Amino acid sequence: MFGWNGKILRVDLSRGTSRVEDMPSYLMGDYIGGRGVCARILFDEIDPRIDPLSPANKLIFSTGPLTGSGAPAASRFIVSAKSPLSNCVSSPCCGGYFGANLKYSGYDLLIFEGKSPEPVYVTIRNDLVEINPAGYLWGKVSSETEKAIREDMRTKHGLDNWALNSMGIANIGPAGENLVRFACIMSDGGRAAGRSGLGAVMGSKNLKAVAALGTGQVNIADVDGFRKAVMDFYQEGRDNKELLKRRMYGTWSLPGRANASKSQAAFNFKEGYFEEFVKYEDPEVIRALIRVRDEACFACPFACGKRSRIKNDPEYPLTAKGPEHETMALVGSNCGIGDMLDICRNNYLCNELGMDTITAGAVVSCAMELFEEGHLPEKDMGYPLEFGNRNMFKLLKQIARREGIGDLMAEGGIALAEKYGHPELYMGIKGMGIPAWHPQAFDALGLQYATCNTGGAHTKSTLPFYEGRKDPAYFVEFTKKDQDYIAAADSGVLCWIIYHGPLWGEKLAEWLTYVTGEKYTPEGVNRLGEKIWNLERLFNMRAGITGKDDTLPPRILNEPRVKNRVIELDKLLPQYYRLRAWDEKGIPTKEKLREMGLEKEGTDLI
Amino acid sequence: MKIKIDHKLCTGCKQCEIACSLAHTQAVNPWRSRIRVFIGEEFCLPVIAGPYTEAACNSKGTLMIEGVEVDECVICRASCPAKSVYKEPDTEIPLKCDFCGEPPNPQCVQWCAPNALTLVED
Repeated sequence: MFGWNGKILRVDLSRGTSRVEDMPSYLMGDYIGGRGVCARILFDEIDPRIDPLSPANKLIFSTGPLTGSGAPAASRFIVSAKSPLSNCVSSPCCGGYFGANLKYSGYDLLIFEGKSPEPVYVTIRNDLVEINPAGYLWGKVSSETEKAIREDMRTKHGLDNWALNSMGIANIGPAGENLVRFACIMSDGGRAAGRSGLGAVMGSKNLKAVAALGTGQVNIADVDGFRKAVMDFYQEGRDNKELLKRRMYGTWSLPGRANASKSQAAFNFKEGYFEEFVKYEDPEVIRALIRVRDEACFACPFACGKRSRIKNDPEYPLTAKGPEHETMALVGSNCGIGDMLDICRNNYLCNELGMDTITAGAVVSCAMELFEEGHLPEKDMGYPLEFGNRNMFKLLKQIARREGIGDLMAEGGIALAEKYGHPELYMGIKGMGIPAWHPQAFDALGLQYATCNTGGAHTKSTLPFYEGRKDPAYFVEFTKKDQDYIAAADSGVLCWIIYHGPLWGEKLAEWLTYVTGEKYTPEGVNRLGEKIWNLERLFNMRAGITGKDDTLPPRILNEPRVKNRVIELDKLLPQYYRLRAWDEKGIPTKEKLREMGLEKEGTDLI
Repeated sequence: MKIKIDHKLCTGCKQCEIACSLAHTQAVNPWRSRIRVFIGEEFCLPVIAGPYTEAACNSKGTLMIEGVEVDECVICRASCPAKSVYKEPDTEIPLKCDFCGEPPNPQCVQWCAPNALTLVED
């Protein structure tokens, strides 16, 4: 088989058993891989109405046909389950080396079912799948967990430094164990499947970590064609200034850009400009301050990852990944914190404790506004928490461990804001915190956030920077196209960051064709992306999410905070639904579903 | 000709491992590659497979590189019985870099986007 292994590894945590299944062929053809396959399996195998933290939820780690193939930036894996934060389908994407190792172990997919009676971690070394006790790992932060597992593998299995170094590990920190609804799954020293709280799903299954070390291979259908195409692509990349900037600065060049376009989320989205970031407008300043090295994911020539260190602070001794721009915004400017080292401290804490920096930041900034406005009394907090207060470090630890008020905040921003009587002050969509860019600064962004299947996510469609400004109809069309394309790329699994813009869909189809030997076209992959998007929508509808949830916080809709603009969602949404061939309530029409072969899946809904 | 390694430029993407295994085995498998990259927090170390030695070393030490302690075994190029790398995973037949034939055209160098690997005259 080319690209694929054609195998699913299914682990039943309740019984402590595992088995290997053949991958059904329709999954490979109709859903590309990764995110698409996850959407299909979730739809088929779980009741969308279940409690996401119950044993009935399934946790899927998925690769795609491109994972491990060496296609440039085919580095990522998808984790999927019903989200405990948004109650929607979720499919966060994570880089590092775990995905490739899962693939080289001989599996395309890893599905966890049920709930282990005791904490466990699972190791996968090709055919050898072991479920190991993890009681001694429970409570450990992410980096210590990885270290302890490597040490375990050394002593029990006699693996040498090279083997231990090649291994990929996905794990949860204390936040996941304590079922914090925005806990993430950490991997390989700072990568994260961040959004939508799947760390809590992993914690609810008593699964502390999964380690994979594969020594198998991926077969390429057209080896010569593939090698030549990669070389050509590298040649083009060498002169591409945008990509070179990515390698140099990652997302560190974005605070300057965001401030310039008045879209840097600040003070719980009250503002779109953050004075204290002016000193970081030259990314070289950040690079000089904290960078240790440029860090690539597996098979990525562009290395946008940045490893950083807070120099001379014994409380934060290790290097960390990032902070990325979203982190700088949500645990930085949006909380009124402007010192890069303090942002790094927040980033470090979130990573080690295993929490999504974006939603964690959104919840804390909501608490800060509640505190400043006098709705959240100091006696409940135990300390002052106005914007910019460094008590935030303490608060993050409390949330992850569910201590004091942290217990309430761990339930998410809606629970917090409702308790103190101001639900409108939480800047979230479907429960998930809004990312760094202030939606009011861009026409398309509010629509993208509001209609995203997984909640307020920035990686399921993105900003059309390179397109300049056009009329609303254009942005509605852009949003749909982008959502479909990224659903396809996430299924490849290809990191779309370097394949956006002019390369839309083309390269994805090209790599898929070389690797699998099947004929893919740009139109074809985008059409499959549309099918995946619709299937996810149907899952959400069955979970009780309706068109009414396609909305934005009142602040974004009604208060002109940036450029004196509001988002006219009531005008944009109907256009968007029409373009998707959905009815006025946001329900896919029968004709559309028939066209995509999803008629059966829509039964009773339409 | 030789391959010069500048570990400070290495990003740890392992495209060299992919290029090598593709060139030598027509499939992708880092474990069949003649070059491997050791991922570190501060820097990554690409190491190219040298000749096979029949016995492992008696004494093993560590080296300091840029203030970081590195296992000597990791930067040693030899394929040896004590190491998991530079051998076919199934048959354990030792592997050695052959510069991808004559004249040398090492694929790892071709695929190294950050230019950590370069082909230089002796």
